[in-house]
Amino acid sequence: MKALEVKELTKVYPEFTLDKISFCVEQGHICGLIGRNGAGKSTTIKGILRLISTAGDVVVFGNDFYKDEIATKQIIGYVGGGFRCYPMNTLIAIRKAYAPFYPTWDQSKYEKFLAQFELSERKKVKELSEGMKVKFALALALSHGAKLLIMDEPTSGLDPLSREEFCDIILRLVREEGVSVLFSTHITSDLMRIADDIVYISQGRILATCPLKELLGKYKLAHFSSLADATAANAIGVKSVKDGYEGLLSCDTQRLNGVTLSDATIDNIIVHLEKTNVEERYG
Amino acid sequence: MVNLIKKELALCMHPTAFIFLSFAVLVFVPNYPYEVIFFFSCLSVFFCCMKARENSDIAFSCTLPVKKEHIPLAKMLVVIGLQCISLLLVGVIGAIKGVILPAEQYVNQTGISANIVLVGNGAVLLGVFNLIFFPCYFKKPDKIGIPFVIGAIIVFLLIGLFIVLRWTTPLFSDILNGVNSIHTIAKVLACLIGLLVYLFLTITSCKISMKNFAKVDV
Repeated sequence: MKALEVKELTKVYPEFTLDKISFCVEQGHICGLIGRNGAGKSTTIKGILRLISTAGDVVVFGNDFYKDEIATKQIIGYVGGGFRCYPMNTLIAIRKAYAPFYPTWDQSKYEKFLAQFELSERKKVKELSEGMKVKFALALALSHGAKLLIMDEPTSGLDPLSREEFCDIILRLVREEGVSVLFSTHITSDLMRIADDIVYISQGRILATCPLKELLGKYKLAHFSSLADATAANAIGVKSVKDGYEGLLSCDTQRLNGVTLSDATIDNIIVHLEKTNVEERYG
Repeated sequence: MVNLIKKELALCMHPTAFIFLSFAVLVFVPNYPYEVIFFFSCLSVFFCCMKARENSDIAFSCTLPVKKEHIPLAKMLVVIGLQCISLLLVGVIGAIKGVILPAEQYVNQTGISANIVLVGNGAVLLGVFNLIFFPCYFKKPDKIGIPFVIGAIIVFLLIGLFIVLRWTTPLFSDILNGVNSIHTIAKVLACLIGLLVYLFLTITSCKISMKNFAKVDV
């Protein structure tokens, strides 16, 4: 079953267009939403949650988001980075205002998360560190039995240990509770650890939507000693590096003399595909 | 809706929203344009909207399981509640003033006396403010200053108009002025007309605000 289906989501700004974005998140999968700054990741998430007015359809577990907004939002947990609202209020005041919106609110689960994250409800939001703010947002989002988690760069600003801890929590939720996750991030090493699928957005358009393994299996990172070699090999997004040139080669490219091949990471793929995009756009 | 209203009261109310309610006692100040009391009610709306903006309240509310259109409605219902309390307090405290002070001290040399016609005038002022402020605010929730300044200017012009009417028309200076016990029916009618105008303008404001907010990109 599909946890989330996004169909032709479109938003037109004077200087940017989110152009008919379509993808889906399978139930129990972690889907990474990747792309450079300004590619349209946050706009996509805002469009899904109806924070901005968009054209297109959003279906969550078979429910049309726009037709059944309240019921659909009740099965979604949203984490938009760290919790930055109401800095002068205590966590307890925010929880008391937040929990009644969810009939399925589980106070004991919430308290368990607070204990696990070492959060004190007596603290004010402004007294929390960045990591604590993310954990508080996560505790709120996870304590009402959300079946779909939508997260917009939740790990930005977190130290490596907190990120690791965060990824562990997400993995455990997916494995133990069958939660589905849409997770936008710049920190692709997190996705390498936990993502099943990838949605790659560039300049408001989908460049790839496929399982992570398929995306990684498509390309090899090639190192060339000269630009002529890279051009001859039809390498994608060739760029100068310290001791030569680097580009992507399709995985089925035959082995070439003098070319060193290695496995491409998500970062490698983004960097070189974006370079090709920019070259195509501006010549 | 009830949960949204509770959230508004718990997280979005500026202290002045409640403090300014106590300004109803200004009806005891001799020779004062009592309609100004209702301007403080408008000012508290401005402070609450400022607080909501500084707290990213609208973005937070939009992620809650509520219809987007219900967010302006909840905010306005809270404001309507406070405005009704303000009108009620002015009416009640004005009536108390009429009972405990001699008639010559009750007469206001600046504007209309603190009777139920003042409540009607206040209702008109608040209704006009609601109609100007909220549709503009819910079109661009980050821009609070301009809708408030426009609303405040119109409110003060109307206050001026009520003062002029008090001194230039026999209806306002003789029949609608003074204690409630004289020309009671005329005063009740004036008050009811004011409340109906408030109701009409505020409902219109609610409808336009909800429509405007549905198009807002948070």
